[in-house]
Amino acid sequence: MTENKFETVSSLVDDYQLSDDELNSALNDEQMSDTWSRYHLIGDVLRDDTLAEINIDLSKDIASAIAAEPTILAPKRTTLTQKFKGSVTKLVKPFGQVAIAASAATLMIIGVQQNIAGNDQITPNQVVQTNPVLGTAAPVSYQVEQTPSKVSQREAYIAQQRRFQALLADHNQQLKLKQVASQKTNLPESATVNSQQ
Amino acid sequence: MKLFITLSLLLVSSLSIAAENNDAFTALQKLSHSLRTLNFSTSFVVIKNNNAEPYHWAHGVTEDNIELEVLSVLNGPHRDIVRRNNIVSYLEMGNTPHSINSAFINSPIPEILSGNTTQLNEYYDFVSLGRSRILGRTADSIRIVSKDPYRFNYWLWLDQESGLLLKLAVMNKQGQVLEQVQFTHLELNEAINPSLQQVKTSELPKVVDLPEEINKQEHPWQASWLPVGFKQINANTHRILHTQQPSEFKMFSDGLVDVSVYVSPSEEAQRQSGIVYDGATVVFNGISNNIEVSVVGKIPAETAQKIADSITFNLN
Repeated sequence: MTENKFETVSSLVDDYQLSDDELNSALNDEQMSDTWSRYHLIGDVLRDDTLAEINIDLSKDIASAIAAEPTILAPKRTTLTQKFKGSVTKLVKPFGQVAIAASAATLMIIGVQQNIAGNDQITPNQVVQTNPVLGTAAPVSYQVEQTPSKVSQREAYIAQQRRFQALLADHNQQLKLKQVASQKTNLPESATVNSQQ
Repeated sequence: MKLFITLSLLLVSSLSIAAENNDAFTALQKLSHSLRTLNFSTSFVVIKNNNAEPYHWAHGVTEDNIELEVLSVLNGPHRDIVRRNNIVSYLEMGNTPHSINSAFINSPIPEILSGNTTQLNEYYDFVSLGRSRILGRTADSIRIVSKDPYRFNYWLWLDQESGLLLKLAVMNKQGQVLEQVQFTHLELNEAINPSLQQVKTSELPKVVDLPEEINKQEHPWQASWLPVGFKQINANTHRILHTQQPSEFKMFSDGLVDVSVYVSPSEEAQRQSGIVYDGATVVFNGISNNIEVSVVGKIPAETAQKIADSITFNLN
């Protein structure tokens, strides 16, 4: 790549007017688009408005995730090729029993992929899935009160995840001991809590 | 005339609903009887959070009427749970083997299914939905539907021949699957499995003797709102695993679902509440006025929040 190309990207980042030719070549050149995103990242870091987690390769991750996505078997308009496929599936059908094992295997693979994805992160592997139910669709970290700096925000996020893990483990531990208690202590009806709707 | 037709239609439809309920009742009773009396060896996977966890489960009754049961987790570190009548032993990696007095194993399958399910009919409706095919067998489809919006629904598929469980799904009100137990293998035998028979004579770890009072503590607070039917079954003070945070603890149950409530003082004055799901299990945690409240259980997040908000302290 020539110095000239870098300059094109640089001026793009800095919002200078470019000719259509230059713009097109910048769009089509993979190396240049890499540079483009890198320049923006550098700018963001300098201005200190990066997100807590920088995921540079997001687009690639998404592309590979889409590629790994199982085919959805939904009825589609029949074309000639599909009729051909139809006759092939008929041959495959007798092996239906394998499908259960295969579907279980698919699930495992998804699980494994998730684990691998988690490995290169600094945060502990997130076993409990965060599911936004109340409020906005934001990860747990953003529900934590606004903290002065990003480092402490991240620390709060990790601490919160640990707390959730610990509570889950403790709940399971208490479930084990539950029977012992309820067998020995037959609580009188008065001990029940009045509920109001 | 029109009135008569509508009335008779109403009568017929209500009769058929009653019949459906009866079918579901009978199927659930058969399930609990089968879980207690049959010799079976099964495998199942628990599917939650995009992950599948495989288990092996064997149950049998010896000639002299001793119930034996083994549940093993097949992935990751060894975890085996063995039950001989009312002694349950936990053999886990990294934990000293121990036994406790209990008639049930704490497993992904709710223990009430092998007990008396009729006690649930005050808070849940039982609906029979006809037949389907699960694990290559004919299955009766049963739903345990909560009467109020504060609980999850349970969908069950039961083997028509043996009455045993073939599939279980925990669903929210919107009909989303939160957690599933799918059986992948079922073997029924006339006689008890020889390897299971060994448990009858093998030496189990010493039973941990918990003093009776340990779970009867009085705490200076209560949950003033709980969904109808939830009763307090435990109350103690202990340190939460891993974090070692001392906490006052109460457990509530409606027979099917167990909910843990933790209350502890905190140095932080305020922390906005957070919620995570692990399959169908919700974990709620938040601090207000230097009091940290956590709620854990298989209930909707809104219910957990409502319980946490209802904690009131005795004024002394």
